Amino acid sequence: MTGDLDEFRAEVRGWCRAHIPANWRRAQTGVSDAEFAGFQKTWFQELRRAGFAVPHWPREWGGGMPVAEQIVLHQELAAHDAPRLVLAFVAIHHAAATLLAAGTDEQRRRHLPAILDGEIWAQGFSEPGAGSDLAALSATARRQGDGYVVNGQKVWASGAAHADWCLLLARTGPEAPKRRGISCFLLDMTTPGIDVRPIRQATGESHFCEIFLDDVVIPRTGLAGRENDGWRVAQATLAAERGMTMLELAERLGNAGFRWLVETCTRPGPDGVRPVDDSLVADRLAAFETELTALRALCRDLVERHDAGTSGPADASVVKLFYSELLQRLTGFGAGIAGPAAHTELRKPRSSGWESGAWALDFIGSWEWTIPGGTSEIQRTVIGERGLGLPRDPGAGR
Amino acid sequence: MTSEFSDAHDELRAVARDLLGEAGRGRAAWKAITDSGWPGLEVPEPLDGAGATFAEVAVVLEEMGRAAACTPYFGAAVLGVGALRLLEPGPGRDALLRDIASGAAVPAVALAGDTGTAEPSFRLERSPRGLLLHGGAEFVPDAVEVDRLLLPALASDGEPVLVDAGPDAAGIRVTAQPLLDATRRFGRVTADGAVVEGDSVRRFAGHPEAAFLRLHDRAAVAVACDSLGLSEAMLDATVAYAGVREQFGRPIGSFQAVKHACADMFVQVTASRHLVEAAARALSADDPESRVAASMAKSYACEAAVDVAGKAMQLHGGMGYTWESGVHAYLKRAMLSRSLFGSPAAHRRRIARRYR
Repeated sequence: MTGDLDEFRAEVRGWCRAHIPANWRRAQTGVSDAEFAGFQKTWFQELRRAGFAVPHWPREWGGGMPVAEQIVLHQELAAHDAPRLVLAFVAIHHAAATLLAAGTDEQRRRHLPAILDGEIWAQGFSEPGAGSDLAALSATARRQGDGYVVNGQKVWASGAAHADWCLLLARTGPEAPKRRGISCFLLDMTTPGIDVRPIRQATGESHFCEIFLDDVVIPRTGLAGRENDGWRVAQATLAAERGMTMLELAERLGNAGFRWLVETCTRPGPDGVRPVDDSLVADRLAAFETELTALRALCRDLVERHDAGTSGPADASVVKLFYSELLQRLTGFGAGIAGPAAHTELRKPRSSGWESGAWALDFIGSWEWTIPGGTSEIQRTVIGERGLGLPRDPGAGR
Repeated sequence: MTSEFSDAHDELRAVARDLLGEAGRGRAAWKAITDSGWPGLEVPEPLDGAGATFAEVAVVLEEMGRAAACTPYFGAAVLGVGALRLLEPGPGRDALLRDIASGAAVPAVALAGDTGTAEPSFRLERSPRGLLLHGGAEFVPDAVEVDRLLLPALASDGEPVLVDAGPDAAGIRVTAQPLLDATRRFGRVTADGAVVEGDSVRRFAGHPEAAFLRLHDRAAVAVACDSLGLSEAMLDATVAYAGVREQFGRPIGSFQAVKHACADMFVQVTASRHLVEAAARALSADDPESRVAASMAKSYACEAAVDVAGKAMQLHGGMGYTWESGVHAYLKRAMLSRSLFGSPAAHRRRIARRYR
């Protein structure tokens, strides 16, 4: 088994050397939205041809790679600093997980091959009034004829400007308790009544959009799972984000991310002194490497336990919290070491991970991890209640 | 890790937890421990041991930390068997391994707990009277009331060796060191020109310097295992207490401030576990990267244990600060462990040498 894995690792290494575009970071710095999207789609097809785009999908849909090999694949892509799949992320993870868990055969046949051909998805979950308390969402889907009419506003939909389809949560049971009146829909973004507006975020970029829905008609065939079962469907979808994708991010942070941090610390500053020669700096670097080692082990464990069906109820929250806060401390440290020079990097390369070596922007961007997908505070509550069995706050409505 | 392997560990863990929970302290506990065969876990089967690895010893150590146990296991089995197994085989070495496995011998290794840099604390000098042993080591685990002393020393040619001596030999003195951590026992071992017979000087197999460093790493990882178990015990106790202690008409664990502190403890314990398991695996597999893994486990798990025990005291409130609650005993054990066999800063310095 280990021999086979070594062979596979060599194969992936060879592929990385032959296919990862040279200097893609420089080429992807300051590019337009259209150029970014084009680069992402080309890279996705490169990965697809090698069988590396959706290794986590079932074999019949073009995946079926054993978990041990997926781990190796992500380790090697990270070690070779491959571009990340940013644009296809929601499609290959959230949308695919929803279709596989709750979709009809027809929905799967319609969308899974299309995703492989480049169909882009966005996620329409959060609303201005439903962030951490996602179940409080108020967009409505009213039955009409053979379908639904949707009204409301979604926010923080990543990549929605490029999206062909949207995974949408809307309320179908206004009288039911809040988690039991939500349904999950597959929304064609070309449907009349949809208005997508980009949100400019703290880094100056616009990864996210608001989506305004004004009498948008979704046919009956656009319902994913049963009516009013959308909360459960969404939970499964969100869980899909936390396994292999976290492992990929941990490997990136532990490989290229830490390598750049060491490089930043070994480069002489304006005074000719190398930061790493300061014992306090060396100490922090060693502490970061230690935590990164723990993070990578945590992620491997999460993936393996998920595969074996032995995951604990708070495992994913532990990993998300640990990663987010480590990313924030590490990029913040990098920004401090790099000094004023870090502030001259006004843009970071697109298609990169959360650490790009542009430390000041990376640090600001790290809040994109501690806030979305359940804030660090929510994760701690989940760990306390589901992981440790501590009593719930009687004041928090469910 | 195969499931068969981890099942065996789970079983060992359960047995250890029961035994350490019931056996109490002192001689009775040690009798129960030797009856269970733990001192001989790493002793080869032909010498009546279990032929197991450090990975199994790590499980026992973790449970000892959990129970804040007071036994000579660390000195006799972890360091004693560990040191003997690094030696070239011979009748003297094999007989002692057999005796440790059966419980007939309880040795200690005079490894100084306060040194982060691994260098023997003793040296052998040639003299007209024969070989003389000089030096001293403080914070030697389980040094008191043992029947054999194994003293790491630099031979006159500069090579690390192990000197096998009786604790009452002329020129050797062992004195107990009373410490704040009353759950374990440490001693000061001094040698002031003790005459050493040539056949009681034992050579390390292979590369002697490397062997001595391995012994030091073993001590560091073993302490990290203890700290991991200790952290788990403190987390469990705190979660249990926060679930039943009521203030303002509700369990304190329902307050977010308390809940989130427990969540942070859990995250630290989980990260510690992964680092300690990796270090134990590397150590039992003789992995060349085991030095780095050992330093990571020692620095992280032992620092985390002080944090976790400190939070346990805080979240137990006034009760936690009493002598009676016993939280202080765990906090002191965690604090001492953090300082033993290389401080976190010393271990991180070792890790950081690779960046230059």
